[in-house]
Amino acid sequence: MKVADTLTAAARGVSGNPMRSLLTMLGIIIGVGAVVLMSSVGQSMTGVILSQISSLGPKSMVIFPGRQEGGAGQVAAGFDSLTFDDLNELEKLSSIESVAPLIFVKGRVSFGREEGSPQVMGVTPAFFANQTIVTTQGRLITQEDDDASSSVAVLGPDAYEKLFGQQDPLGKRIKIGENHYAVIGVTKALGSQFFQNADDRIYVPFTKARQASGQKYLNQITMLATDSFDLAFADVKYVLRRQHGIDNPEDDPKKDDFVTRSSEQASEILGSVSLGLTLFITTVAAISLLVGGIGIMNIMLVSVSERTREIGLRKAIGAKKQDILLQFLLEAIFLTLLGGIIGLLGGVLLAFVIAIFVQTILATYVFAVSIPAVTVSVLMAGFTGIIFGISPARKAAELHPIEALRYE
Amino acid sequence: MNHDAPLISLKNLTKSYDNDGVVTPVLYDINLDIHKGEFIAIMGPSGSGKSTLMHIIGFLDNQSSGEYLFQGEPTEAFDDDALAAIRATRVSFVFQAFNLLPRTTVLHNVLLPLLYHPTIPAKERMQRALKAIETVGLTYRKDYLTSQLSGGQKQRVAIARALVTDPDVIFADEPTGNLDSTSGIAVMQALQQLHKDGHTIILVTHERTTAEHAERIIYIRDGKIESDSRDFKRMIATEKEAHSLK
Repeated sequence: MKVADTLTAAARGVSGNPMRSLLTMLGIIIGVGAVVLMSSVGQSMTGVILSQISSLGPKSMVIFPGRQEGGAGQVAAGFDSLTFDDLNELEKLSSIESVAPLIFVKGRVSFGREEGSPQVMGVTPAFFANQTIVTTQGRLITQEDDDASSSVAVLGPDAYEKLFGQQDPLGKRIKIGENHYAVIGVTKALGSQFFQNADDRIYVPFTKARQASGQKYLNQITMLATDSFDLAFADVKYVLRRQHGIDNPEDDPKKDDFVTRSSEQASEILGSVSLGLTLFITTVAAISLLVGGIGIMNIMLVSVSERTREIGLRKAIGAKKQDILLQFLLEAIFLTLLGGIIGLLGGVLLAFVIAIFVQTILATYVFAVSIPAVTVSVLMAGFTGIIFGISPARKAAELHPIEALRYE
Repeated sequence: MNHDAPLISLKNLTKSYDNDGVVTPVLYDINLDIHKGEFIAIMGPSGSGKSTLMHIIGFLDNQSSGEYLFQGEPTEAFDDDALAAIRATRVSFVFQAFNLLPRTTVLHNVLLPLLYHPTIPAKERMQRALKAIETVGLTYRKDYLTSQLSGGQKQRVAIARALVTDPDVIFADEPTGNLDSTSGIAVMQALQQLHKDGHTIILVTHERTTAEHAERIIYIRDGKIESDSRDFKRMIATEKEAHSLK
């Protein structure tokens, strides 16, 4: 029997009883569907986090005042441990390319009758360079603005929209706290950083912010590593511990009064999260394919019993053992592959629908399908067909034609 | 291949079944020659061994001892695949229970043996199947599912299926057993027509009315050939005599 004929015979076997075939495939459909859905959502979420990391800039580091209490992200805030002296010392390090201090300015923000509550940050020009911030209108804060403590402001896109709507903001004066500032530019959207909206911001010159707030400490320092992150980190920690009189040879982050973050660290965390996710999905896939495979084997065994006379007939008219073996094996593979493909389409469709909903609250969430996950799960489904189809197929092939024909 | 030799020649053939050490003899010392173009009925009561004999002649089973020559060639050395290849090309069967594929059209049932035929090219299949269906007069039903046919029609589909590979021998195992008398007659007429067209037909039956259509009747009782006759009446007489002796 030719391969094409065997394929046709197997396809007829599957399509001859569509309801049973569908029920048989259900385990595989759900298994593959779940894997495709989870891997798609996982990939989309990875994309969201990656976009946050990349908005920090590839070689950037951030230092916050505070104490790391437990795992990454648990930071006790509100410390005044970062000083201007620290800044000067850090600037001396050769492993650091640029250092940008940051001070938050408190107070209500308004333009005419419009009010907003953006985060107001006093920054130096280096801050924009470190975080690769560019403008869509006007210009950024320059060294001259900073040197002269000019009353100028650059708006993030969300802050601009809240205060000005569609109006041209350039040259207009906004009020922050008790001071007035002239708007000189609007920045391009950044999305979110560490799950905070980085677009509802107003940037003013660092020196001006320092005057306006009267603050003696820094809220944040952003830096760019010259070359090696490890070296830059070690240097920063050494300098700050020396400055703050902290004895911490065992490098315990709980003893420090500052917290360091880098895009590389974030990438590492993301890497371990996605590894965990991959392992989880693989486990789910393995279990569901096992369950689906057992279902297929069960039904194929029933099918062989039910079609004993058909097998007897096929043998009587000249089918060889291998023809019968191949036919039943192909039926099992068809069922699992078809189940895999239906599951794949269902999973992709569901992931797409989820993406549409999630996008309304998380703009950087982009519908994505993990091609390796899809390929592996569909291939695994087909492989399951071989593993669980071989035993029923062999049983069918070994039937004696006369006994099979007499089977009641 | 020896063209002068009988199509089928059995010499001292025996068959016994071994069920977990219990040996049950079924056929004893069968000697039989069947020539090409014959229409033979193998008769006998149930359990006489007539079906077993048909299975051996039809390459569905092997003998326990003795010789089976098919067209002069000994067959005992054939393995499963070789037997399957002979079934695909040289012999075919019509069964009492029709054994058609369910949920499948008449046409596809008739096409089925061609899938296992090693030499008939794929492009010839359809033409052959349609011709076979035409021979049994079911062209108007070719696209019907087998479940939509009457018993007689089903058996005619089975005959078309047996015919489609143009085999050397067509075996019919109680072909009228599941049919009413009218349908039975139609089926037997179809087989007779095949015989007239030159096919060798071996019929297994326990019904005299069915056996009457054959030109040679072999009567089997208790695993032995009791009579082998071309005279139906004489065969019936032998049968009655045998009964009266009991």
